[in-house]
Amino acid sequence: MIKDFEHFAPKTLKEALALLDKYQDDCKVICGGQSLLVLMRQGLVAPPYMVDIKGIAELSYIKDEKDGLKIGATTTHRAIEKSAIIKKKYPVLAKMETRLASIQTRNWGTIGGNVCHGDPAGDPMPVFIALNATLTMTGSKGKRSMPAEDFSLDYFETALGPGELLTEIALPVVPANTGTAYYKFNVIESDLATVSVAATVTLGTGDSCQDIRIALGASAPTPIRPKKAEAILKGKKITDALLAQAGEAAAAEADPISDIYASEEYRRELIKVLVPRLTKEAMANAKSK
Amino acid sequence: MTTKFSVLGQRVHNIDGTEKVTGSAKYTFDVVLPNMLYGKVLRSPYPHAKILKIDTSKAKRLIGVKAVVTGKDTLGRKQGIWRRFPELCDEEILCREKARYIGDPVAAVAAIDEDTAEEALDLIEVEYEPLPAVFDPMEAIKEDAPQVHDGVELNININRHIEWGDVDEAFKKCDHIREDQYKCSSQAHVCMETHDAVASFGHNGKLTVWTSTQSSYYIQRLYADMLDIRESDIRVMNRHTGGGFGSKFELDSAQFCAAILSQKLCQPVKIVLTREEEFIATKRRTPMYYALKLGATKDGKLLAKEARVITEGGAYTAMGATALYLTGFFSSFPYKYPNYRYDGYRVYTNTETTSAMRGFGAPQSTFVGESQLDMMAEDLGIDPIEIRRKNGMTPNYEVPGQAFIQSCGLHQCLDKIEDHIKKRGKLPANHGVGVSAYGFMSGGIFNWFNTPYAFSAAVVKINIDGKVDLYTGACDIGQGSNTTLAMICAEELGVKLEDIRVFSGDTGICPPDLGAWGSRETLMNGNAVKRAAADCKRQLLEFAAAKMGANIVYDLDIKDHWVHLVDRPERGVSYFDIVKEAIRGKDGNAIMGRGYYTPHRKGMISPAYSFGVQVAEVAVDVETGRYKLVNVTTAHESGTVVNPVGIEGQLEGAIMMAGGYGYCEDQPMDDGKILNPSIADYKLIRSLDMPETEILEIDTYEPEGPFGAKEAGEGLTNPTAGAIGNAIYKAVGVRINDLPITPEKVFKALRENEKKKAK
Amino acid sequence: MKKELKFKVNGQPYDIFVKPKTLLSEVLRNDLGLTGTKRGCNSSSCGACTVMLNGMSVKSCSVLALQANGAEVVTVEGLAKGNKLSLLQRAFLDHGSYQCGFCTPGMLMSSTALLTENPKPNKEEIKEGIDGNICRCTGYNSIIRAITAVVKGEYKEAK
Repeated sequence: MIKDFEHFAPKTLKEALALLDKYQDDCKVICGGQSLLVLMRQGLVAPPYMVDIKGIAELSYIKDEKDGLKIGATTTHRAIEKSAIIKKKYPVLAKMETRLASIQTRNWGTIGGNVCHGDPAGDPMPVFIALNATLTMTGSKGKRSMPAEDFSLDYFETALGPGELLTEIALPVVPANTGTAYYKFNVIESDLATVSVAATVTLGTGDSCQDIRIALGASAPTPIRPKKAEAILKGKKITDALLAQAGEAAAAEADPISDIYASEEYRRELIKVLVPRLTKEAMANAKSK
Repeated sequence: MTTKFSVLGQRVHNIDGTEKVTGSAKYTFDVVLPNMLYGKVLRSPYPHAKILKIDTSKAKRLIGVKAVVTGKDTLGRKQGIWRRFPELCDEEILCREKARYIGDPVAAVAAIDEDTAEEALDLIEVEYEPLPAVFDPMEAIKEDAPQVHDGVELNININRHIEWGDVDEAFKKCDHIREDQYKCSSQAHVCMETHDAVASFGHNGKLTVWTSTQSSYYIQRLYADMLDIRESDIRVMNRHTGGGFGSKFELDSAQFCAAILSQKLCQPVKIVLTREEEFIATKRRTPMYYALKLGATKDGKLLAKEARVITEGGAYTAMGATALYLTGFFSSFPYKYPNYRYDGYRVYTNTETTSAMRGFGAPQSTFVGESQLDMMAEDLGIDPIEIRRKNGMTPNYEVPGQAFIQSCGLHQCLDKIEDHIKKRGKLPANHGVGVSAYGFMSGGIFNWFNTPYAFSAAVVKINIDGKVDLYTGACDIGQGSNTTLAMICAEELGVKLEDIRVFSGDTGICPPDLGAWGSRETLMNGNAVKRAAADCKRQLLEFAAAKMGANIVYDLDIKDHWVHLVDRPERGVSYFDIVKEAIRGKDGNAIMGRGYYTPHRKGMISPAYSFGVQVAEVAVDVETGRYKLVNVTTAHESGTVVNPVGIEGQLEGAIMMAGGYGYCEDQPMDDGKILNPSIADYKLIRSLDMPETEILEIDTYEPEGPFGAKEAGEGLTNPTAGAIGNAIYKAVGVRINDLPITPEKVFKALRENEKKKAK
Repeated sequence: MKKELKFKVNGQPYDIFVKPKTLLSEVLRNDLGLTGTKRGCNSSSCGACTVMLNGMSVKSCSVLALQANGAEVVTVEGLAKGNKLSLLQRAFLDHGSYQCGFCTPGMLMSSTALLTENPKPNKEEIKEGIDGNICRCTGYNSIIRAITAVVKGEYKEAK
């Protein structure tokens, strides 16, 4: 049962930030509401004031600029999924979206809402980390930005400060000879990840890995970069043996839970298998350009 | 035997179709009455606890709350489906002294809206004394286990024994014996419409109920028992019902609490269970521990089978006793065992009651039996189809002392599946195909409900314009019984499907019918409908015979609105004319016909059985254990096909449900608490997960059924888990003996296999 | 305190006042009496409440009614024009793409939204199109066949 609240629908970012400053801890931000409303219907969240930013047009955009792609935080998942420029330049992002929840959820839910929800099993964050995205937060006092991998602090807890809204996700221009791949392991196709892996590889000469970024989802309280695994591969010629080592390292760096869907042990085993697989897929994507 | 039918076998629109595709079909969920209140149920958070005190005063004072009731506001009676055995009627529904599972109702509220009712629940103060609880039947059956019901030794709710031949002697003669153990999991029905009811007591003390049910008669009778009101003063109406699958023919908390509240207030009270309540506080499939011993000769002749089963009963008996019996019986299906023994024990536990779910113990027995049979075949070096052929049931076979099987198309099904597998040819790596055979009942012969009525009855009325009204107690829960029965009626009467108007599931105007469970409607109510229609036809033909004055050697019949001589069909009169004349001849009364059916002397289980063989193809990712359901092909026979679109729908729907039982559905618990009571957390097969499906129809004719028809709908849920298990074994050589077969289990088994090979 | 909600449903304009907490599904069912849209879960997972909002399929149980301000909503009641069923409705009837019918309104809305956005989806796209809707009765394949038949042009608009 949802407890009633006072509802504000600001039309501009400025208005929204003023409301956040005014009501502080007593208010919650709603955009698509695809995560928030579920929590509210179960009585887990009951704010007296609701700042509804769904109608703020200035926060919904996909802009292809010289220094990369800029996505406004209230852009829907579906817009990202269908964007011609994203399909062309960051196809892994569009592909990730095709298995995110359902079309209905993607039509109304937003990328900002998903990222700020802070679910370590969420699909977008590992991909953003692998793509070296930068997240920008705006408060009435100004903006600040940080790498995607620093944004998640704990289960359902992000670096978003009081009075701040996530306003933009920026993706740098994809370097040459670089490919990204993402996969989430689950039992039902469009379900949340049991574990997920995203990998970006920049190829060097002769099948070597000049640079690598790996991100694991549903493997720890936040999405993580298994840096030891990356170090095993970076700058080296990629072999199956090396990939297996990297998989082992990533599994050891992960901190997955045991729940009714999978044991901690199984999640680690999946990471061991998926890190090599996704690295190879990223390499293939890099080559196919 | 095939005859040319006018209506049967046609691909028709479901007669409720237009309402359903336009959203105008009204479900209990949609019922709104003047002066109606909304109810909510308060449930025990403890798996086992004494209810010491309930203080409802704060809740009563909340503005908008009209009544709060507890077990003390009831007559304190207990009820159950097995009415013939009072000791098995053990459920109060609204508990007075003790709660026996997490979710057991302890109080209920009626208020002006749902939110207020829910708020009021929080204000009810219940003082519990938690008691030691037991969750695993293997623990509950021990001497020192907590007692779920007083005076029930070792928590053994009920036991069943089925035996023929001499199993112990026979095992001595076997060349090869296998002993295997299995664990079959729980499963939730997940009807799209949750349990709901609108109960309305009038000031005259009569009760009218709109509810989502598979049996309005059962609900009516159980209300009468619990409220001590005459059955005839209660009217239960089944609206369009959003699914049943076995969950909706017992008196549930929505129905009972709504009635108690309404009785107090003389206002309609509507209770709709939330999805969470649906998962934790209705009923579920019976989990079973199985120990099977199977013996055969070296050339694959099965000589003996012994099944020992312990089932997790949950808190109350419900229909769990039937599942215990049927799993034992269907453990002998579909093969000819000269010697067989089954011992089953249903054990009370402090968990949600286990009761009826589509298949009723047979999906469990088929999974374990077909898994073991495949292993036996491998041990003996015999092809899986061949071993089934060697032992499969045939028409006119008697299961010693238990059942007589008339029609049986099992062997034709085996042939078709064998062909299908051959055509598929060489499979890619890590693909496998697995076979599973089944047989299932067309309704039960048992009367543990203790009804004095015929099991199925129907009334047919022909109006002056030739249109026909069919009154049947059969409940259409989506399986299409309204359409199937209307087709049978139309075929018998010689009219068109669109001439039939169906009134069903309303105890106020329809004759009683035991309801839509055990796959009984087509055969049992179909027979009743056919007989009622035949009664009307006979009356019309009397007038036609007189009018036509044909030679006495000629028979008359009606087909496509044409009343004619069978041997000279060109000689006849219009059905519409005869109807008018017959009504005039009956002093201006509509033509009415009655029909009924109760199986007599049909053995211990069912008057007829349907058979089938299914083959599932899986593709396994050996590195992760994940597997894909690629294709599920089923050869099955259900006698004369009445409604082919309906049967195809039943089959494909069964694959989703039974496939889920094998693949992903489960209700894990922690100290009696179900951990995934939401559709987000309870994994279901969706459209992207659904395999390709193919249906291969076998033509058979069942003498016991209307026009030769028998069940199709429940039997089809039996084979899939077994087919999946067998397919995985064929693909990658691992055998999983406990359901569901999750990727993690496959992964672990694969890694263990590798370790063994390495040694 | 109630706030104004001005929107169109099935082409009909409405101007009503709702509590902010009201969900779109509640407004449709309770305030406007359009009971075709159902509720099957409490976790935004089943899709039984699917409607079209500004041409997109959404789960009406997971949209605040006030967010539909100024929007055009189509429910299952809006698919037929008078007594002329839509092509998808006719195809569902012919293919038996429903049994209990509780998921059917949502399924039809998802299918309609799919074909509105993409008149020629392939089989995978059709499966994706209805993946957000659970059906416990049909096993989905008859629904996929009905949609495929419409895509193939087997149905023409009735005069």
